[in-house]
Amino acid sequence: MSFDPNDPALRHRRPRPQLARRDVLRGGLWLAVGVGAAPLLAACGNDQASGQSASGGAPYQLARPDKPVKLAIKDSNPPIDNGLDPEEGGTFNILNYADYMAPGVMKQFGKAHNVSVEVTPYNNYDEMLAKIRQPGQSFDLVFPGPSVLSKMAYADLIQPLNHSYVPHLANVWPEYQNPWYDQGARYTVPYTIYGTGVMYRADRVKSVPEVGYDLLWDKQYAGKVYVLDDRQEAIAMSLLRNKITDDINTSNADDVKRATDSLIELISLVNVKTDINAYSEVPEGTATVHQCWSGDVIAGQYYLPKKETPEVLGYWRPAETDYVVGSDNIAIPKSAKKPVLAHMLINDLLDNQIGLKNFGWNGYQPPLTKLSAKFLTDQGYIPKNLANSVVVPSDFDKGHTFYEVSPSTESLWQTNWARFKAGA
Amino acid sequence: MPDPVPDKASGHDRATRRLWPALALPGTFWLIALFVVPFYAVMAVAFSGRINIFNEPIPAWSPLEWESSTFTTVITDSFTPSGAYHEVWVRTAIYSFWALVICVAIGYPVAYYTARLAGKRRGLILALILAPWWINYITRMLAWVNLLQDDGYVNKALGWFGIPPHSWLSGSSFTVVWALAYGYLPYFIIPLFASLDRIDQRLLEASRDLGVGSARTFMHVTLPLSRMGLITALVITALPMAGDYYTNTIVSGSPNTSMVGNQIELFLLEGPQKNIGAGLVLLLSLVLMFFMFYYLILTQRASREASR
Repeated sequence: MSFDPNDPALRHRRPRPQLARRDVLRGGLWLAVGVGAAPLLAACGNDQASGQSASGGAPYQLARPDKPVKLAIKDSNPPIDNGLDPEEGGTFNILNYADYMAPGVMKQFGKAHNVSVEVTPYNNYDEMLAKIRQPGQSFDLVFPGPSVLSKMAYADLIQPLNHSYVPHLANVWPEYQNPWYDQGARYTVPYTIYGTGVMYRADRVKSVPEVGYDLLWDKQYAGKVYVLDDRQEAIAMSLLRNKITDDINTSNADDVKRATDSLIELISLVNVKTDINAYSEVPEGTATVHQCWSGDVIAGQYYLPKKETPEVLGYWRPAETDYVVGSDNIAIPKSAKKPVLAHMLINDLLDNQIGLKNFGWNGYQPPLTKLSAKFLTDQGYIPKNLANSVVVPSDFDKGHTFYEVSPSTESLWQTNWARFKAGA
Repeated sequence: MPDPVPDKASGHDRATRRLWPALALPGTFWLIALFVVPFYAVMAVAFSGRINIFNEPIPAWSPLEWESSTFTTVITDSFTPSGAYHEVWVRTAIYSFWALVICVAIGYPVAYYTARLAGKRRGLILALILAPWWINYITRMLAWVNLLQDDGYVNKALGWFGIPPHSWLSGSSFTVVWALAYGYLPYFIIPLFASLDRIDQRLLEASRDLGVGSARTFMHVTLPLSRMGLITALVITALPMAGDYYTNTIVSGSPNTSMVGNQIELFLLEGPQKNIGAGLVLLLSLVLMFFMFYYLILTQRASREASR
């Protein structure tokens, strides 16, 4: 590998969408009485997109791991033809979470194809959908997770892939060549995968209980305990820890309430805090125990203060049958002006070396067969004590994952989450 | 108020008659475009229960389509003690109150000093008061995170006096209140300064000539005369404070310190219940409008008394 993980140029990067500050700025627009109108007025034009009452079902099949979905390919929205020449010149527009793709990878791609690569960032899927649906707006690449994929294909927001341009799909874990949310990888290829666990300061936490989530409910870490600022992740953790149910997408109001009540206990018990910055809070010592995504753990080693080594970090992950895992995908918007180039970038990202380079920057693992835990630790990308943060295929076979739920279930979870966030 | 001298030249008169409404046009347009329309849009969302498949609210533009059930729930849950939003409203009120008390305690003396005693240094002091405005609010708050963290300078400074370090950032109401006061203090000082500055020096001299001490002069002359400025300053500071949600996110991040703005953010940023968020915005606006109207009544009364 020509790529050196110890390259200091890689040290200062942020892995996942780091919302806090941007969120704050963006939300400010909503609140300021005057400017608050912009998104609302933008919403006016969308009425024709079939009004769906909050309780109604979706007009397309909801994908489930045990009920896989083969997304329809419509005559009105065909894939591009074989053997087209790549487009040249101009801009290549990527719609993505901020800081979710290595600038080096984008630069290299832009140089090779004589385009300038630009990223339009979003903080959550609602925002992504709003941006991709703006009339007259065109994007060449987008990163939808399983929970928004079906609706995007249904509404013709993305186009089917032509696999003849993506031979590197063969590098991907077999299960991700044919995932449950997109059988036959018709519209997407996988981008990154991750699990949810607990990151902690190994120098402060003397012993890790069998169920590592209990670290969060432990009084001795009061004031330095964080849960992910994500209603699904936080409530799902409580559902599993308290053995309320194995169904982390449950629509049972009582289950969600009990799980939330247990989260609310954390407020008086440890004065819990919420954010999604485990990758910096734990290494810097602000947090002792932080619910986190596995990618945060890998990124965390670069945020350690001087003189500290990765040994001060620890990661607890549940057994594979209790692991909450997720994935993000790459797709090509229907509005793409450079669809051939988009296919080529997708193919690049599934290349072992380019995939590794991207991983080295953002800490989130692509499901490429070659990038096993052993390979990544041997290559020095991951310290040995954090090797358990690498997700493996069996996690996905046996673990739990979030999928698209009905708006009423989403509302149920959100209302409970609001109850927790309101404090007590 | 001195009456404007009436101009008898009729041509000039006509032009003036046309000029004044014309001058009001940009302001009217501004008000309609940036207040009336957005406010109506918020209402159209708050009173609509419908969303599209992309979680976007479908506003009910016609009042005939309005459903009030969500807004009624928002009101009930806000004002009954067991309601879901009750706690954040109470907290918002308490935090704003104490932050305003701090603003008065710090801001009044500063404004008084600047207006009355600063002399040649007044320009410098005003510039210093306004200096924080050169830096973005959020940047200033993030700077406090560095100062207040466990091994930050505040704890180091306390250490010199043998005071043990304190975890300022672990979700403390105290920190949030002080951060709010710090963040909005310049908004408080400036209008108050303007009003103190306008007080006729001769009135104070008259008071002293009549043998009243400086403390009583302050109580009986300066304070009453600066009352309107004080109320203006309180209103200008309280309005943004009550809707604030980023200050506590940055310096606390704990559910224990969340305010009504945080709940609004939660419902508006994503998910299918933007009508709840809009309902909370509406309610917050109504509460603040109540104080605004009270303020307007006070100003009107004051100007009537002044012109009497």
